[in-house]
Amino acid sequence: MKKFIFGIISISFVLGQTGYEIAKMVDEKPTPKDLSNKTKMVLTNSKGKSRTNAMVSKSTDGNKKQIIWFIEPKDDKGVAFLKIEHDDKDDEMRMWLPAFKKVRRISSKKKGDSFMGSDLSYEDLSSRELDENKYNRLDDEHVDEVDCYVLEIIPKPEAKSTYTKHISWIAKDGLYGVKEESFDKRGELKKKKSFTFQKLKNYYVIKKVFVEDVQKKHSTEVTFSDVQVDTGIDENLFQEKNLKRLPHN
Amino acid sequence: MKAHSIKHWIISQSLNHPKRTIIFSLIITALMASGLRFFYIEEDMMKLLPAEMDSRKTWETIKDEFGNTEMIYIAFGNKDKSVFNDKLITDLWDLTEALEAIPEIEEVNNLINMNKLQSEDGYLEVANLVQSRDLNTDQISEIKAYLDKYPKLKLRVVSQNNDYVNIIIKSYNDVPSDAVARIIDTAVEELNDYEVFIGGVPYVNGVISTLIRDDVIGLVRIGMLVMILILFFSLRSFPAVLMVLSVIFLSVIAMMGSMGWVLEITGSRRFVFSLINTSMPIILLTIANSDGVHIITKFFKKLRQSGDTQLAVEQTMESLTLPIFLTSITTSAAFLSMIYSPLEVQTGYGVTIAIGILWALVLSYTLLPSLLVLKKWNLDSKAVRETSFLENVIDRFGKGVLENPKRVLSSGLILVFIGLIGINWLSVEVNMQSFFKEGTLIRETMKFLDREMIGTLDMQFRFEGDMKEPETLAKIEKLQNKMEENQKVTTSMSITDAIKQMHRTVMDDDPDYETIPDTRGKVNNLFTLYAMSGDPDDFSSLVDYEYSSGLMTTFMRNMTSSLIIEYVESTHDFIADSLEATDKITVTGMLVVFRDLITLIIRSSAISISISIVLIALIAGFFFKRILWGLLAVVPLTSAVILNFGFMGIFGVDLNHITAILSSIIIGVGVDFAIHYISQYRRLVKQKVSVDVLSREVVDDVGYPIILDALSNMAFGALLFSQFLPIQHMGGLMVFGMISTSVGTLTILATTAELLKHKLIKL
Repeated sequence: MKKFIFGIISISFVLGQTGYEIAKMVDEKPTPKDLSNKTKMVLTNSKGKSRTNAMVSKSTDGNKKQIIWFIEPKDDKGVAFLKIEHDDKDDEMRMWLPAFKKVRRISSKKKGDSFMGSDLSYEDLSSRELDENKYNRLDDEHVDEVDCYVLEIIPKPEAKSTYTKHISWIAKDGLYGVKEESFDKRGELKKKKSFTFQKLKNYYVIKKVFVEDVQKKHSTEVTFSDVQVDTGIDENLFQEKNLKRLPHN
Repeated sequence: MKAHSIKHWIISQSLNHPKRTIIFSLIITALMASGLRFFYIEEDMMKLLPAEMDSRKTWETIKDEFGNTEMIYIAFGNKDKSVFNDKLITDLWDLTEALEAIPEIEEVNNLINMNKLQSEDGYLEVANLVQSRDLNTDQISEIKAYLDKYPKLKLRVVSQNNDYVNIIIKSYNDVPSDAVARIIDTAVEELNDYEVFIGGVPYVNGVISTLIRDDVIGLVRIGMLVMILILFFSLRSFPAVLMVLSVIFLSVIAMMGSMGWVLEITGSRRFVFSLINTSMPIILLTIANSDGVHIITKFFKKLRQSGDTQLAVEQTMESLTLPIFLTSITTSAAFLSMIYSPLEVQTGYGVTIAIGILWALVLSYTLLPSLLVLKKWNLDSKAVRETSFLENVIDRFGKGVLENPKRVLSSGLILVFIGLIGINWLSVEVNMQSFFKEGTLIRETMKFLDREMIGTLDMQFRFEGDMKEPETLAKIEKLQNKMEENQKVTTSMSITDAIKQMHRTVMDDDPDYETIPDTRGKVNNLFTLYAMSGDPDDFSSLVDYEYSSGLMTTFMRNMTSSLIIEYVESTHDFIADSLEATDKITVTGMLVVFRDLITLIIRSSAISISISIVLIALIAGFFFKRILWGLLAVVPLTSAVILNFGFMGIFGVDLNHITAILSSIIIGVGVDFAIHYISQYRRLVKQKVSVDVLSREVVDDVGYPIILDALSNMAFGALLFSQFLPIQHMGGLMVFGMISTSVGTLTILATTAELLKHKLIKL
């Protein structure tokens, strides 16, 4: 999951670029070969009630292959999720249901559906195809003393997006995303996202995401810990049989 | 300052400073009326219930936890033509998009955006049942096959004969009625080729209450016109009619404005204007009219005798100051008794009307005599010189009554006895459906929703407990099954339906697994699985965020109030006996609200009638210095109340929260007649009028204004032509109430006083 977001917003620094050129740099920027972390996700609804999930995630191939083991809440301990993205067919998603002792394949064809009840939809978590969007560069701005490029990103029809527009603030120094606002089909502000990054090896790796659905007054805070990159995760890990047991490391 | 000094001071203001008095009364009226800007109209029937009542508390909790549970339903299609065709699907798709674009709408549910949960070859899929706007025949057949597999689900979106689709619209809480109207307009605009039916509580609340208000306003205008004509033909003086009307108009706007002021100053929700309050202006019209009519008729009589305007006004006010004061105080007391009503808005109703009555009193003391003084009256005019036709009729009527007092009294008592028997047949009906005449669009729509869709009534059950625990879920299922045994229940929904559907899907679509799983772990796995593949928000109207409470809703067809009471009670018994969890299950919904409203209406009617009668007897007894007079004052109005409810029972007119107010009109107006009669009786006794002609002279003196007052108020019989049954009933009952109170005064009171005259002359 972390890799998805990382892919969207980490960019190289080039002065005098057009919106498209900045986005292209983001797209072409090198990303870790593999990534593992512990993820804590806190969902808070409009009445201030919260739900917390914790999971262990391992991914490779630019996050196209990802396996997640749930460790919290207690009810969900043992549940595991495997996703393998394909370019030419629907993604494969499998889930281990320990109480039924069954693996079930699942599908969500709706890009706007939320991931685990969070404010991040599958579309938010997936990489944006460079040529499926139009990019307009707006006036640069400072966000919390960070000098940023500001891009207006408009999805083209082929993107089949649930949004009509995004405004992204991208740090000039380090070229990581600082914040983003996404607008729904009616052109109304739907989500506000803010990101915190840390530098690991030669990558800017995401440390925290805060997303607020301003219409539903619901928010999600995702914190990543024990982050490791390029550890040489075995490709064989991304198999159904590995869903049933939580790795020791 | 003694009472008579105050009286003389008030009278002297009009006689000596008429212009100043008029200006002052107009300025204060304008100040009171300026509160109209704070006036607030409340349409929500639920808010009629006391805040501490269980069903309201549960309703508020459910609204807070699960969002708005009051839906708007739009059904459309063509009779006997299947909805499973490409044109209808395309139209439904377009309408859904148009409705979703309305900001006040939180959710639109119908066949188009329904989720399909299916299992195929170990593959669980949550997708839209309808994937695109344009579908081919095979795709449409697949949709139909899926819905046929889940008949309970299907009933929510397609009619029993497959010829109408239903759209369930969930708006955000407290959406104003103009937004509801916009939703309806959007629907109707898009659906030219279909029969369209619209229903649901927000629609009934928002749209129908506006229609009722418009209807009442239109009919009151007609009533006013008829009232003016009656007054004109009786008083035969256009300026005199205008003077009566000015008192009426000014007291009505002052009353409405003061309601706004009280709401603004106290912030109390008891002072909002609801459907019940629509009768307030009519009631004040009748009462304010009464004061004016008595003053003008007495003035003409005195002017005829003396030929001096100043003297006539002085004599009129001398003799009427006390009776008008007493009628206003007793009528106000009758309405103030409503503060003991358990229906909160009735407090605001009673207090506001009392303010209006007292202001009408002030205007009758100040504005009206000032206007009479300022006008140059033509002593040769018919109005002054001659008695009217009505006066002559009353004269003959009075003779007839007083020549045969025992016969008249016993006839009256027989009628009252019949009324007492009739009360046994009185039924209470608060169901909105009964408010509309057969054949009207709204009633037909409600009948359609009852016949073809999920019905127009509901009952909601809030369960407290672990919503992942099979034992809790089994209780919900047990109650659901029990409810569905009743033929009036069309369907029900709760989280158990979703869990059973998910269980079956996970178990390779095996129907044997359409059950609640046996362990908590399995239930939890199903929720987690759904969260990964569908939107967990889909369950937000069924379980709370922490899975610690759940909502079960039962939908049902229309029922009579008696069935409602029986059904709600038996459900409570079932929860207590079979589920043994009364502390964990709370109940609300339209059905329970209706049941509570019925109880409240009966209680509030009984409380306000008994308190007001006792208060009036005490006040009249105090001012007339004998409790016997107090008792006599309430005789005609008690008889009239008995006759009113008795004849409602006999003629099948239901008691509801609108007609219940009628008893207050009867008491309020009826007491005026009695007090005028008694005042004049006592005045003549003081003047040593012979006991043999005493009653005769009283009838001569007050009979005409009483009958003219009643007659002009009968103009509100125009309400009989309303398209809404309770308003129609109100019109009919108003006519009946005016006849029973005025004739009751001139027969039962007059004959009783005549029979007791030897006791009564001992002042």
